[in-house]
Amino acid sequence: MSTAVAIRGWEIAKGFTVGKVTTRVLEALSVEVLSGELTLLSGPSGCGKSTLLAILSGLERPDGGTVEALGEPVWKLDRKALQRFRLRHVGFVFQGFNLFPALDAVEQVELPLGYLGLGPGETRRRAEAALDEVGLAHRRYMRPAELSGGEKQRVAIARALAKRPQLLFADEPTSALDSVSGQTVIDILHRAARAHGTMVLCASHDPRLIAHADRVLRMEDGRVLADEHHPHPPSKPDAAP
Amino acid sequence: MVALARKTLVYEWRRYLPATLAVAFSGMLLLVQLALVFGIFDSAAVYINASRAQIWAGYPGTQSIDLGRSIPRDAEMRLLLDPAVAQVEPFQWVNGDWRGIRALGSVSVFISGINPAADGMAFARAIPPALRVRLDEPGAIIVDRADLPKLGIAVGQSGILNGQRVYLIGTTRGLRALGGVNIVTSLATARQLNVGGDPRPAYYLARLRHPDQAQAVAARLDPHGVHRRYAVWTAAELAGRTVYYWLFQTGAGLGVVFMSFVVFLVGTVITSQTLMGAVAGSISEYATLNALGASHRALGRVVMEQAGWVGVAGLAGGGLLSSLVLALAASQDVPVSISVPGIVACALLVLAITLLSGLLAVRTLRDADPARLLR
Ligand SMILES: Nc1ncnc2c1ncn2[C@@H]1O[C@H](COP(=O)(O)OP(=O)(O)OP(=O)(O)O)[C@@H](O)[C@H]1O
Ligand SMILES: [Mg+2]
Repeated sequence: MSTAVAIRGWEIAKGFTVGKVTTRVLEALSVEVLSGELTLLSGPSGCGKSTLLAILSGLERPDGGTVEALGEPVWKLDRKALQRFRLRHVGFVFQGFNLFPALDAVEQVELPLGYLGLGPGETRRRAEAALDEVGLAHRRYMRPAELSGGEKQRVAIARALAKRPQLLFADEPTSALDSVSGQTVIDILHRAARAHGTMVLCASHDPRLIAHADRVLRMEDGRVLADEHHPHPPSKPDAAP
Repeated sequence: MVALARKTLVYEWRRYLPATLAVAFSGMLLLVQLALVFGIFDSAAVYINASRAQIWAGYPGTQSIDLGRSIPRDAEMRLLLDPAVAQVEPFQWVNGDWRGIRALGSVSVFISGINPAADGMAFARAIPPALRVRLDEPGAIIVDRADLPKLGIAVGQSGILNGQRVYLIGTTRGLRALGGVNIVTSLATARQLNVGGDPRPAYYLARLRHPDQAQAVAARLDPHGVHRRYAVWTAAELAGRTVYYWLFQTGAGLGVVFMSFVVFLVGTVITSQTLMGAVAGSISEYATLNALGASHRALGRVVMEQAGWVGVAGLAGGGLLSSLVLALAASQDVPVSISVPGIVACALLVLAITLLSGLLAVRTLRDADPARLLR
């Protein structure tokens, strides 16, 4: 298990202007996220978890500060280079599963691999392996309409994992799911971090996930209040605080 | 590569149906209006198209066959002297005034005086030889059967044409004129009816030994120069002049252009709205792909491919619709005429509709911002 720093953020600042009112969401926030573990961004609604995730993952430009991901100064890259960086190194899982209704599970997973320029054989092999990893090998020819919410989210995770990204971002991946499905999903993310040495950064206001994380960053009002390590996550997943 | 565009189109075909129908109906409207307009205006050139001559000699600068004026008789000799020419005959053009027995008032008609020999060229495609030779009787006339009600006459009955009694010996199809009634007589009868007019014919028709030489022979036989007293055209050239003269003289040509523009506009609005709706409906999926590294350009290709398939399906549907409508029109004696350039022009316009709609829908992809997926 590698514990190298995957992402470093210094002095990150971000505000949103709506009409004439500017709200400062993040103020001089500095953070380091490590490879090979699941880091949970936790905190009340509106504290800036998603905003921080978007800035660290290269989706939303900060007003100030620096982000260094895998040694690359993310916000100094031009649009094309940033897209290329995301293509090669970054995976995403969102609250909405965002699966194309017309594609079956394997095709959902294969789709982004096509943009990596992999051959059809390698694409299929990786897609099947990723579906196997999330426990959905038997559902691979089903379309979203035939899958449960939890299964859809697992397909979305397989889609992100099949790229073999070093960085995996998940925003509220369990919020649309019942507790059992949510548990399965967070376990898969946790295992992926351990198995592939991936940095997994997950934002959620769901306190039940805290027990599954290697590390919890507690946020409030745009700042990190506490940085807790759980070197040995409890084996009983239901043990929520 | 997963065929996202095609699979989505097949799976969500209901969503794309309005666009496909809009394209199909646009194509059908474009083609049918063109076929109708050319069908109507082709009848202005019926004298040429229904005849078996490859060469026409007439008054220089004649814009339309019905505007012909008399030309000198030595044109006939000049045509006959050319070794490529097999047969020459005059064509007399007389304006007429008809009074039927059922006193419908007077009807203005066009009298075509033709060679009544069995192998005569004028109207050879419309009048069978057996009927044609009977024009030899003095005062015998032939009309299109669709014009009978206008003339108020039946076969065997007589009427008054330019003050003289004439007899309807038979009817045929394919003689209808634009803006009047065509009455076909022999050259001799036409001369009788041409009271006080120039007795010389308006045209000479010539048949060639090798029809495919028409262009070269016409160029050779034309006297050239500003002071020539007659000019020589190929049949296609004179027919084209006539149709275009009528198209623009009546403003129908401008009408076609205007109507095509309206169809183009409506087709593009409906098609692009449907495609934009489809893109908007999948915007978070597209945004997710973008987050995972697919460029907007690559996503745009997916949308353009969808537009392309909609265009292909719409073109096929439009072709089918058009053939049904045109077949119906033809069966009801509605004049329709389609040409390969016309079909190609309509197909190109339809493809332009889908291309433009696709490009408009691609703009919707700008909303595929993955930052919006994080909430
Ligand atoms: N695009 C935006 N325009 C204006 N304000 C925004 C925008 N995005 C976020 N905000 C504001 O920034 C603040 C932080 O939002 P953020 O989505 O990061 O919160 P969060 O911690 O993820 O909350 P939740 O747990 O509810 O998802 C909120 O007050 C929100 O209203
Ligand atoms: Mg959030």
